[in-house]
Amino acid sequence: MDKYSRATIREFMSPSNIGYIDDPSGTGHITDNADAVELTLSIRVEAGRIADAKYRIAGCTALIATLSVLSKELPGKTIDEALALDMPYLSGLLEGLPESKWRCAGYAVQALHLAIEDYQSKTS
Amino acid sequence: MERIVYLDNAATTPVDAAVLDEMEPFFTERFANPMTYMHSSAGDVAHTAVEEARVRVASLIGSNPEQVVFTSGGTESDNWVLKGTVERTSRERLHKPGHLVTAEFEHHAILHSALALQRQGYEVTFVKVGRSGIVDPDDVRRAMRPTTVLVSIMHANNEIGTIQPIADIARVAHEHGALMHTDAVQTAAHIPLDVNTLEVDFLSLSGHKFNGPKGVGILFVRDHAALYPFIDGGGQEWGLRGSTHNVPGIVGLGKAAQLGKERLPGELERLTTLRNMLFDKLSARIDRIAANGDMKQRVPQNLNIRIEGIDNEPLLVAMNEAGIIAAGGSACNAEETVASHVLTSIGCDLKEAKSSIRLSLGYVTTAKDVDYAADVIPGLVKFLRSMA
Repeated sequence: MDKYSRATIREFMSPSNIGYIDDPSGTGHITDNADAVELTLSIRVEAGRIADAKYRIAGCTALIATLSVLSKELPGKTIDEALALDMPYLSGLLEGLPESKWRCAGYAVQALHLAIEDYQSKTS
Repeated sequence: MERIVYLDNAATTPVDAAVLDEMEPFFTERFANPMTYMHSSAGDVAHTAVEEARVRVASLIGSNPEQVVFTSGGTESDNWVLKGTVERTSRERLHKPGHLVTAEFEHHAILHSALALQRQGYEVTFVKVGRSGIVDPDDVRRAMRPTTVLVSIMHANNEIGTIQPIADIARVAHEHGALMHTDAVQTAAHIPLDVNTLEVDFLSLSGHKFNGPKGVGILFVRDHAALYPFIDGGGQEWGLRGSTHNVPGIVGLGKAAQLGKERLPGELERLTTLRNMLFDKLSARIDRIAANGDMKQRVPQNLNIRIEGIDNEPLLVAMNEAGIIAAGGSACNAEETVASHVLTSIGCDLKEAKSSIRLSLGYVTTAKDVDYAADVIPGLVKFLRSMA
């Protein structure tokens, strides 16, 4: 049986970048009652690169820890580089997230994609 | 050493030192097989110990010793009674597939056994349970059919601790010619228990829920002829349950039953006070908190609360980091966090079910433990809510 790595627990217990961005370039929102998830991820894009990412979250340990590492990875990345971030990569940053938790943690990636779509729809 | 406050006694309890002491010789010098007692004095030592344990367990539940059949625990007892009675009565009395009545919020040992019977062509009714977490005997009455063989309703629910009106339900079962079983895994040695007052034909209990060892339990069987054996083998347990006796386990169960009976009045009062104190303190320090299930008709060791706006999984992880061990649903669904079937069966929506935790006290729980939990948990709830 898989269990959480110490890195995951540490990240969850002191998560980075909780909050909203004022006047964000794009926002992704996910609600799922069955998973008890309520998630808003906002990004600020400057000169084609993500400058900042913040989120508000009610959800599981895996999702909180994944959002925290994701929010730290995003600054400086182009949109294409941001879209390339996936669960295997983010799991690696957490020293291995149990695969049974990838589905729920995957809401972090989904919320990022929604935020990028929102940004692109505003700028196109 | 960092502090560990263990509030998951409904999942399992530590073996009492006095229990372990009595068990120990039966692993080593008193190792003989009790079934050899006729010709072996060593076997007689083991046999005598098994029979003494049987008397102690019988005394805990108010039965005759020969009505106590040792098993590997609650799950085996539940499997056995459902399958053994439904199959026997269907074949020998009804000559067609019989009907079982149970409740939606039973332990999986009952629910999955009932589903296994259903797959084999037997009929099952799962009675609904309201917000109180207490089965209405009239709902059981409405579920009864001429072919109903067995009614199985747990004595207290394993997640919310609500105590069921077993004697009233047993009367309904008997009026309709059915037998009555109760899973008393959460009540044995916690509240007074008497098979004749409850009017049950079968009762399951498990040693490790009251400071006995894991891997041993009993099925109380009022009439040996009422069910088929589940584990076929040698002549152990009147031929009802094959397999060499788990002598150390049985001895440990017997000692735990004796201690449990002695301690029961004091523990019932002490744990009720501690549990209520814990709920009062948490309620005063956390807003939007509520108990799941009736708070009065409830075993003393159980508190199940829902805390709006949080997911129980990260709360339990954070509590564990602070040295407090508790549970979300039952201990049996660890890998994928799913909403508790018990909570959804009593009318909680998925979000409410996933914002609920079970804090269960035991003989080892102290007032200091409760104070520590009441001091720490509100801060962790605040931490989680601050992210949302």
